[in-house]
Amino acid sequence: MRVIHRHPGFSYAAVGLLAVTLLQGADFDWGLPPGFPRPQVPADNPMSGAKVELGRYLFYDKRLSVNGESSCGTCHRQELAFTDGKPRSVGTTGETHPRRSMSLINVAYATYLTWANGTLTSLEEQALVPMLGTKPVELGMLGHEQEFLDKVAADPLYRRLFPLAFPGEHDLYTLKNVTRAIAAFERSIISLRSPYDRYRWHGQMDAITDSAKRGEIVFASSELGRCFRCHGGWNFGPVRYEQTPGQRREQFANGDFFNTGATVYAEPNRGLFEQTGRDTDIGKFRVPSLRNIAVIRPYMHDGSIPTLEAVIDHYAAGGRFAHLNKSDIIRPLTLSARDRQDLIAFLNSLTDKEALTDPRWSNPWDSGR
Amino acid sequence: MRRWLIIAILGATLSSIALAQGVVPSVEVTGAVKQPLTLTAESLAKLPRATAKLTSHGIETIYEGVWLTEILRRAGVPQGEQLRGRALASYILAHAQDGYQVVFSLAELDPSFAAGGVLLADTANGKPLFGEQGRFRLVAPNDKPGARSMRMLTKLEVVSLRN
Repeated sequence: MRVIHRHPGFSYAAVGLLAVTLLQGADFDWGLPPGFPRPQVPADNPMSGAKVELGRYLFYDKRLSVNGESSCGTCHRQELAFTDGKPRSVGTTGETHPRRSMSLINVAYATYLTWANGTLTSLEEQALVPMLGTKPVELGMLGHEQEFLDKVAADPLYRRLFPLAFPGEHDLYTLKNVTRAIAAFERSIISLRSPYDRYRWHGQMDAITDSAKRGEIVFASSELGRCFRCHGGWNFGPVRYEQTPGQRREQFANGDFFNTGATVYAEPNRGLFEQTGRDTDIGKFRVPSLRNIAVIRPYMHDGSIPTLEAVIDHYAAGGRFAHLNKSDIIRPLTLSARDRQDLIAFLNSLTDKEALTDPRWSNPWDSGR
Repeated sequence: MRRWLIIAILGATLSSIALAQGVVPSVEVTGAVKQPLTLTAESLAKLPRATAKLTSHGIETIYEGVWLTEILRRAGVPQGEQLRGRALASYILAHAQDGYQVVFSLAELDPSFAAGGVLLADTANGKPLFGEQGRFRLVAPNDKPGARSMRMLTKLEVVSLRN
């Protein structure tokens, strides 16, 4: 069940329908094509249309920054696949982040969150990092949490949305519920409607060009592009999903963090090492999904590669920089000019334009307030 | 001389056009076999059919095709009681269109030695394979990683180390 409410045009009929649905315990409609696995959802934060809608308002609410100038949506812009187009993101007080913002599309399936943290796996927990973090300051809300919660509790819109999102709860206006709602909204952002999806999963053989079809083969070849070794599967990267009873849990033999020799790994951008302190983790960064990759430029964790063509050059050369930890998967490739063009055509076919404009995930404050 | 050159170029052009238009995708069964085979979707459809399931990133796919043992039997490769002694030092070298190769020993494919098997598949969920899977692929449902479930299969070469 999806309910799209737009402030201030709030529909009480929809609220009634939603309440009935919640009471009936109906499952959240992810809008997945048949056969696709559902994302894992924490038991203490089940999905609902009301919670997703509340999360959408909170995600785009600039009052959730210390100076009222930024929201989650500032660094995660829908039209850029929920990234910001900058090599490195800038916090609300002007501090530059060491790394670029990551896409939130299909983040519900991510095995790990952020570029280089092997323990952060909960979106609820992750939402606190930009809110309260100080190294660097992103939203700068540390010490200002209660001020924000007071504003929320006094806002008529939120006074309607919170009880719907958390029915039966007495202490509604808490930071925990704020992060739970934002996490639910982020989980709802699913992209499976690219031209490639129509070709691969729905039998629309003319949905992509012949060049993109050849590019798919280069991408998936062990001898040519080898891209699938890290970016394999339907999400073009590692996925975590709801296990059905008896289903064997897949193990990703290569892990989810790799040193690709893309840059010089200097402090504070030494990858997983920043968390673990292990020399063998220097330069290891998370494998991102390649969905919508054409609009997620510039590339790599530090935005140091400006174009997809240059990314292919980097991998075809077996990495731009030598490093002891560089993955064995990264080695020189023999790609013709046509192979490279075909790879680009294939990567372009992964852009889900509907996801970049879908009103379910757009900024609800744009229409008023 | 010039006329012959023109005829040769014309002939090569026509051949390549015919090749592009008329090539039927196939899998060659070659090497240490009594009866080399060229398998097409049409010929595979006439052999005993079987299914195997693979799960990749949470998506289950039902592949249909023919067990390799059935194919090897028709190629005259030792099976069952004949798979003894020197024959046990034989293996299948599978070739993919892009040059990728994987190996299966004859014994691990033979049901008298090991449970399970490897399927030469030509459909997935009832539809012909296409794209990065190629027209044919191998499905090794008992392997934990998918690396030997080779996509874009073009040739099965039987190699005997001890003739």
